[in-house]
Amino acid sequence: MKKRRMYFRMITASLIRRRSRMLVALLSIAIGATILSGLVTIYYDVPRQMGAQFRNYGANMIFTAVDGSFTQDDINSGLSYIKKDDIVGVAPYRYENVRIREKSILAAGTDMEGAKAASPYWSIDGEWPSKDSEILIGANAAEQYELRIGDDVTVSYTPENAQVSGDNGEDIVEDETIDFKVVGILDTGGNEEDYVYMSMSDLEKLTNSETKIDVAELSISASSDQLKKYSQEISNQVSSINARLIKRVTASETTVLTKLQALVLLVTVVVLALTMICVATTMTAVVTERRKEIGLRKAIGASDKSIIWEFMGESMLLGCVGGILGSVLGFVFAQQVSIHVFSSSISFRPLLVPITILVSVAVTGISSLMPIKSATDVDPALVLKGE
Amino acid sequence: MFFRMIRGTLFRQWKKMLMIAFTIALGASLATAMLSVMLDVGDKVNQELKTYGANITVVPKDSSILNNLYDVEGGDFGSSYLKEEELGKIKTIFWAFNIVDYAPFVNTEAKLDDGTKVNVVGSWFNHHMELPTGEKLDAGITSMRSWWEIKDGKWIDEQKSDNHNVAMVGTAVAEKAGVKAGDALHLTGSAGDRTVRVVGIFDAGGDEDDQIFMPLNTAQALSDLNGRVDSIEVSALTTPDNELAVKAAKEGPSSLTVSQYETWYCTAYVSSICYQIQEVITDSVASPVRQVADSEGAIMEKTELLMILITILSLIGAALGICNLVTASVMERSSEIGLMKAIGAQNGSITGLVLTEIFITAIIGGVAGFFIGFGFAQIIGQTVFGSAITMRAMVIPIVAVLVVLVTLAGSIPAIRMLLRLRPAEVLHGR
Repeated sequence: MKKRRMYFRMITASLIRRRSRMLVALLSIAIGATILSGLVTIYYDVPRQMGAQFRNYGANMIFTAVDGSFTQDDINSGLSYIKKDDIVGVAPYRYENVRIREKSILAAGTDMEGAKAASPYWSIDGEWPSKDSEILIGANAAEQYELRIGDDVTVSYTPENAQVSGDNGEDIVEDETIDFKVVGILDTGGNEEDYVYMSMSDLEKLTNSETKIDVAELSISASSDQLKKYSQEISNQVSSINARLIKRVTASETTVLTKLQALVLLVTVVVLALTMICVATTMTAVVTERRKEIGLRKAIGASDKSIIWEFMGESMLLGCVGGILGSVLGFVFAQQVSIHVFSSSISFRPLLVPITILVSVAVTGISSLMPIKSATDVDPALVLKGE
Repeated sequence: MFFRMIRGTLFRQWKKMLMIAFTIALGASLATAMLSVMLDVGDKVNQELKTYGANITVVPKDSSILNNLYDVEGGDFGSSYLKEEELGKIKTIFWAFNIVDYAPFVNTEAKLDDGTKVNVVGSWFNHHMELPTGEKLDAGITSMRSWWEIKDGKWIDEQKSDNHNVAMVGTAVAEKAGVKAGDALHLTGSAGDRTVRVVGIFDAGGDEDDQIFMPLNTAQALSDLNGRVDSIEVSALTTPDNELAVKAAKEGPSSLTVSQYETWYCTAYVSSICYQIQEVITDSVASPVRQVADSEGAIMEKTELLMILITILSLIGAALGICNLVTASVMERSSEIGLMKAIGAQNGSITGLVLTEIFITAIIGGVAGFFIGFGFAQIIGQTVFGSAITMRAMVIPIVAVLVVLVTLAGSIPAIRMLLRLRPAEVLHGR
């Protein structure tokens, strides 16, 4: 009992009395631990955060109908197989041929909020439609009809069962028409620029028909394997839906994401290796300085073993404190990076704390063991004489 | 005498000095590696993002309206085509170096023997070009459709001698027509018929599965479209848009002042590259594919920022590590400095002596560290991106300044503290 108390007193006293030197060593251990825990946290978080960035490319899965069309209920039952947090956006689309000024154009009915989330790259001049009778018009179509934001436009639709008959070829069934207001012009650089977009309910009113959806675009934040699993599961379980992956987006995302993660991993390994060596050299320097002390102890009869134990205890205590400091600072650093780069917070990984502490204790322990050993090997008389 | 003392320290205390040099080398190599990777990561990631396909499409001025709104079928030979002979000019624009890949497309229709109509697309696969600048480029869809999964057979190799009358067939068409790689397929176009050999079957996971792809000339011959091209897809390395680019894209380049115009024209914005392509291809409209161009910008920005922050962290780590060790090693020499003071050395000359010693060590360590760091950067580049990291000249001064500042910061406070000590006390061993 007494022996143990003496041991702790010797360790703590030497740490406190040699305050400035020990602070230097502690600082370097803490920096090493900070880099360790910070970079590892970032490394684990990069796929998630970057994956979210990759959702800028828009939908990576589409639901198509097995025959004809499907409904919102079918989409919902399909979505129930996907983890809630993974769903970034869902946009149902229904396409109908309508006419504006007697020229036919493809109109899409959709959920504007869903479209905004599923296709973040849509660049809108003006605003997204938010009310009934508001319409979003593709840039090419707008140019062709010479429509500008704020213009009124009449959209007409000839029901499918309309028959052209009679002597003069008149329509017997009257066209449905709705007056829309152009609120936004859509620029994507793709086919979307040739269409007009309106809310699902407007399109239903125009066509006088029930909800039916031709295709649904889904933007899901998940790895390609997970996406494959989702699409198979949904196709098997929901009879009215065929879930397909958009290969162009999923395949490319996997390639780029793997490389990015490999980059962060390698950088982490290189930085870590170099910091660990830095910590080790500092510890070596700190211990080497105390050769005189070791010599003195040996001269007054301490055994090699007790000297090694004591010095190891000291450096491990340092390593432990440094590790705790480092895991806190590392989390703060990772959090700052995450907020600045991805503007979202990072989740705390409790497992990293013991790992960081263990690694820093191990590194300080090993790096001080060698100089202690070489110091104890020396003849105390020589050391004390200063040779 | 000064030099003899320094030589003495360096040779007699070489173990200690080696340790300092080693730490400085480690720090410098870390700084070099991180800075080189950071400065190059934008280009590298940009290259990787090319797997998403083209970020610019070039179409003739009126084509979009004709094709999409009036459903004109492959029989219209109006003015709405681009000229094949102008394709090479894309590599002559101001930002030619940033154009990494491009491919022309010509769309036509052909009948199979059983009468079904299929869409036939002519394009480049790995078209070899030798540019006047001496640059060699293999452009085409082999690299621009990297997400295609080849189910059967392989990609068409245009550089082989038997590169005519070959085709790659989409899975949907292949299933319908019942063909596999190696089979012959007879196609009748509006202007002639060809028997093509199916080289590969691909799964594109989209509309392209319903199409047949073949070399440009073969497809043109089917519908008498010689020398004509429907559209060009261009893959270009671009700089993320800023206010100026947005203004230029929205209001047109003519709305810029002369100096703004020059800045805009000489920056690799997607809008300025589009503008330059329109200048060289007659009657064309080049527009950014938002899905690719915008996302690229966002991802590049995030990656660069992430790397900058990691670099700053490792630089701080390296700096503190070096600082620590230099301080420790100067403090160790208290008795030596005490002795020098006791026999009458001036503070200035002691400081000079210690600093010179440390700087010689630092320079040796720094130079060694620079080369080691360069090696690390290459290892990272080769493992992750499969290509070398370009060395930027600006890394050298940054690392040099860093090493000098850190060594100074590490040694000066320690030296000042030692100079305040009284020689008698130090020598006495207190």
